[in-house]
Amino acid sequence: MPDLLESADPGRRSSTLASSVVNGPLSVKEEVSTDGGQATTDEAVLYFENVSKWYGPVIGVNQVTLELRPGITGLVGANGAGKSTLLRLAAGQLRPDLGSVQVCGREAASAAAKHRLGYCPELDIFYEEMSGRRFVETMARLQGFSASAARCRTEQTLELVGMADRANRRIAGYSKGMRQRIKLAQALIHDPPLLILDEPLSGIDPIGRRESIELFLKLAEAGKCLLVSSHELEELEKLTDHVAIMAYGRIAAVGPLVRIRDLLDNHPLSILVASDQNRKLAMALLDLEEVVGVEIEGDDRLKVLARQPRRFFQKLADLVLEEHVELRHLETLDDSTHAILGYLLGAGK
Amino acid sequence: MTPTTSLKREPAAQAAPSAFRAWVYLIRLSIQRQARAHMMIWIALGLLAFTLFIVALNTQAGRWSMSYWRYPRRVGPTFEQHMLVLENAAALPWSPGGGEVYAAITASFRSYLEHASGFFVFSTWIVFGLFTTFLMPLWSLSFATEALGREREARNLLWVLTRPLSRPAIYLAKYLSILPWCLLLNVGGFALLCLAGGTPGRRAFVVYWPAILWGTLAFCALFHLMSAVLRRPAMVALLYSFFLETIMGNLPGYSKRLSISFYTRCLMFDRAHDFGMRPERPWIYLPVSGPTAYLYLAGFTAACLLVGIIVFSRREYLESAVA
Repeated sequence: MPDLLESADPGRRSSTLASSVVNGPLSVKEEVSTDGGQATTDEAVLYFENVSKWYGPVIGVNQVTLELRPGITGLVGANGAGKSTLLRLAAGQLRPDLGSVQVCGREAASAAAKHRLGYCPELDIFYEEMSGRRFVETMARLQGFSASAARCRTEQTLELVGMADRANRRIAGYSKGMRQRIKLAQALIHDPPLLILDEPLSGIDPIGRRESIELFLKLAEAGKCLLVSSHELEELEKLTDHVAIMAYGRIAAVGPLVRIRDLLDNHPLSILVASDQNRKLAMALLDLEEVVGVEIEGDDRLKVLARQPRRFFQKLADLVLEEHVELRHLETLDDSTHAILGYLLGAGK
Repeated sequence: MTPTTSLKREPAAQAAPSAFRAWVYLIRLSIQRQARAHMMIWIALGLLAFTLFIVALNTQAGRWSMSYWRYPRRVGPTFEQHMLVLENAAALPWSPGGGEVYAAITASFRSYLEHASGFFVFSTWIVFGLFTTFLMPLWSLSFATEALGREREARNLLWVLTRPLSRPAIYLAKYLSILPWCLLLNVGGFALLCLAGGTPGRRAFVVYWPAILWGTLAFCALFHLMSAVLRRPAMVALLYSFFLETIMGNLPGYSKRLSISFYTRCLMFDRAHDFGMRPERPWIYLPVSGPTAYLYLAGFTAACLLVGIIVFSRREYLESAVA
């Protein structure tokens, strides 16, 4: 079993993401390396194959095909989109009505798969009478470790999540943030290659969030696959740019945010531009085929609506040089997860 | 949190996990968690204390005897009064040898009344009337519905379900974890009642404890199954105990054969056959033989466990997942 935060082999240091989706409004098939390296793992860590799940007459997850490899994937979507169902299917807590969910090639509900996944549920319930240390050690014992190994792992994991000095208190008296850390510790206790984290940043103070994000990034660097669901989209953006967007039980899009944004042809990117010659720049911009429109924003700014953002930015750079315009401000307004989610879901979030 | 800390596992921590070790630990953990007192157990202990008090009072008053029974029932003189009449009759002018025979017969009646009838009375009132039909199901359910039921209610069953243990192994571990407590309460509680019952009580314990043991295993398997199937198992188990075991278990005809306590009592009758114990009206009670009762209780326990394993393996415990 590889050590936490230490790559088992140098090749795994190149944290890679690969995913495919065959349904939803966007169809993306890609293999992207976060640091330019090549994907080194042939076997998907987590694989959903045409998975559907019903709750009586209501469909929770609808024909989802998703493949995750080492790295961090953010799972976003509106309430009721099916995020938690997807995570519970991945954790083996629910069984698909159609299709299959596999963790490292094993059926997710099997005991073999549970050796390979750590699940940090949103549910905020523990064995409340226990101390944090006892709880994590209990989870290690239930994982099958001997008493001495469980103690050893407990201490190391508590140290890792920053709870070593506070773990002797009863869980019932913990703050939300401390409970989140204990939940994370129990998921990490057996060094699983797959971590399923349901709202792991919820309730944690800003410093704790930063530390958690750093920890997640290091775990990903160490070759682990993290599937993180969060409503804290800004925090999620700090964690990863690779997201799976869920809507109405389906994966609406999956991949790097930039790529997803590029494919949203119906929603031109809004860019705020300020220069020393706004009028001249506006006229030149309107000649570009990628530009849908230009609006005057206040006295000294232009709001440009452009399709195919990559080509637009290349042409903008050329145009600025040719026309000798001095750019003073350049800001994309709606390429955030929030905005993309809003476009994909049609309204609101 | 210190994310810069590199977690290098020490050799002790790198020992391979074992599924069997995890399973044994789950049994141990579940036994420990069962020890936490909750309402049903306090009720069970309260009932034990109350019953002990009543039994001790009766023992103190020497009520474990047929001397106080009346014949004809309710209106006639007591057996003690009948005995006095018989003993006084010994003074009558009997034929040679007849007086000795008569004296021997009355002495044997006296001996049964004073020494052996206590076992019959204690068995009828305490063992059959109270323990097997009421206390044993109630005490069994107070622990047996809790192993899974309480975790489902508290929604922390999730923590066991996320570990690499198969569902059948979890179900069996939970069953095994309730047995020490149920046996302690049923067999231990029965032993206390018998001790408080004096000589007839002590004899009753020696004769009946195997039947109590088998009955407990069957009740635990049934209530454990209920806790895997139902969201509020204690309530259903209570209703079952009162209506099916207490009422239907005492109805004439074959319907009582649906109750566990019927087979437990048949086993008791079989064990106490040498002491003259038998159903009051066998043609109405329709008892089964001892071996049949053993087979039924063992088969019922195994069937409940098998069905429970299947149900628990297939079921999705959504309450453990919903935040």
